[in-house]
Amino acid sequence: MANTSKIQDLFNSELIVLNVGPKSFSTALEDQGYKTVQVNWKPIAGGDAEMQKLLGILGY
Amino acid sequence: MDIKLQIEEANKKVTEIFTKARPIWTKIEPAIDAIPGMTANKILVAGPPIKIEDVTIPVRNAVCGAAVHDGLAATTEEAWKKVEAGEIIIDSAQNYNCGCSATMATSASMPVIVCEDKQYGGVGYAPIHPGNSPKVLRWGYYDDEIEAHLQFFRDTYGPALNEAVQLAGGIDVVNVLARTAGMGDENHNRLFASSMFLDLQLMEYLPDIKNPKKDEVIKELAINDRFMLHVLMAAVEAITAAAKKVPYSTVMVGMGGNGVEFGIQVAATGNKWYTAEAPLILGSLLNPTYTVDDMLPYLGDSCVTEVYGLGGMAAVSAPAYVRMTGGTLEDAKERTDRARTVSLGEHSFNQVPWDDFKGSPAAIDVRKVVALNTLPISHGGSGLKKGGQAGAGSCELPLDCFKEALRGVAAEVAPQEV
Repeated sequence: MANTSKIQDLFNSELIVLNVGPKSFSTALEDQGYKTVQVNWKPIAGGDAEMQKLLGILGY
Repeated sequence: MDIKLQIEEANKKVTEIFTKARPIWTKIEPAIDAIPGMTANKILVAGPPIKIEDVTIPVRNAVCGAAVHDGLAATTEEAWKKVEAGEIIIDSAQNYNCGCSATMATSASMPVIVCEDKQYGGVGYAPIHPGNSPKVLRWGYYDDEIEAHLQFFRDTYGPALNEAVQLAGGIDVVNVLARTAGMGDENHNRLFASSMFLDLQLMEYLPDIKNPKKDEVIKELAINDRFMLHVLMAAVEAITAAAKKVPYSTVMVGMGGNGVEFGIQVAATGNKWYTAEAPLILGSLLNPTYTVDDMLPYLGDSCVTEVYGLGGMAAVSAPAYVRMTGGTLEDAKERTDRARTVSLGEHSFNQVPWDDFKGSPAAIDVRKVVALNTLPISHGGSGLKKGGQAGAGSCELPLDCFKEALRGVAAEVAPQEV
């Protein structure tokens, strides 16, 4: 039988949410009393596929 | 060699040029004698090339004034007809390694500051800053009084300053910046300390010059607390002149606005311009009756100081100026941090005490600007559509010209992959 103690520990520990994306998602959780960590991630070149291709060609 | 490695090596080289060059103000000469490619019928203006029919009213006034000053036409009306007929040529100053602030028009007879960098071989030019009066060619005005001032610059002020610079054996521009670092200048819009220190370098020699009007020369110099700006622009042009000769580099080496479009240049493609709609420079207005509708979009080459890593890139150096643009000390730090994010080097001469003695960022990589969607900030003076200065402020550089630059550089260095 699989050892589920680690996953049980995780579920029983304090919930801290890692938010990658719009800050309003984490703000909504914070308003309900949860802790969050915001990751300021943006897609390369704002997701512009043409620029991503050119950046690849230019070694970025 | 692999293209990516070539770009990396080229960017290292340009970053070295930006951070190690030591441009020296060596002389003042008439533009036609100093600037390669200058001709008697040519007038240099700010920003990327512009169609004759799109030239803004203040630039048109300045060009016509410069043409009359040089004897190319008897009246400003005749001058513009000659521009339209192609007999007088308007061209982008930065294509000649010359910087033209605001609406300034540089004609063949005008004295220009010459800066030479012995380290990397670049030579740069700029007309002499005309002083703090708003009524100058530099802000799109021309009349008999301004003509007399231009003649004083051509016949007396320029030659006299040249004499003093010769006696000084040249003036090290980076030394002026280093000695005044931490005194609150960002060296685009606020240059009080650097201008005064530069004046001190000249004052040692001005009493010894042979020019009979040296008292007038000293007075003219003393009343201009932004005199350093055009000397610095010539120095930056000397640096970017060398950087423009480094193929494969993705570092920005020029930028400016013509009142309609804003453009940048990248080392890999030299004098090729990448343009977008010019932004407005927002901040303080000189007259409370002015509105945004009265203002011209970005006009001038003085942002070559930002190309070098000063001005908005070094905003944290000058919290008092950032306040004028509507910002706080935190905003000043954010502007410099933003530039740091997209830059490859750092100016060790400009370490800022209230920024943990970090140097200001230098050598903006256009790839980083697009990839991180992080737009550097330029400071600047703003112009009025009818002529004159509207105020001073700041703006984000337009992303579209950086995107155009990526297209242009990729087509240049890797045409088979585009």
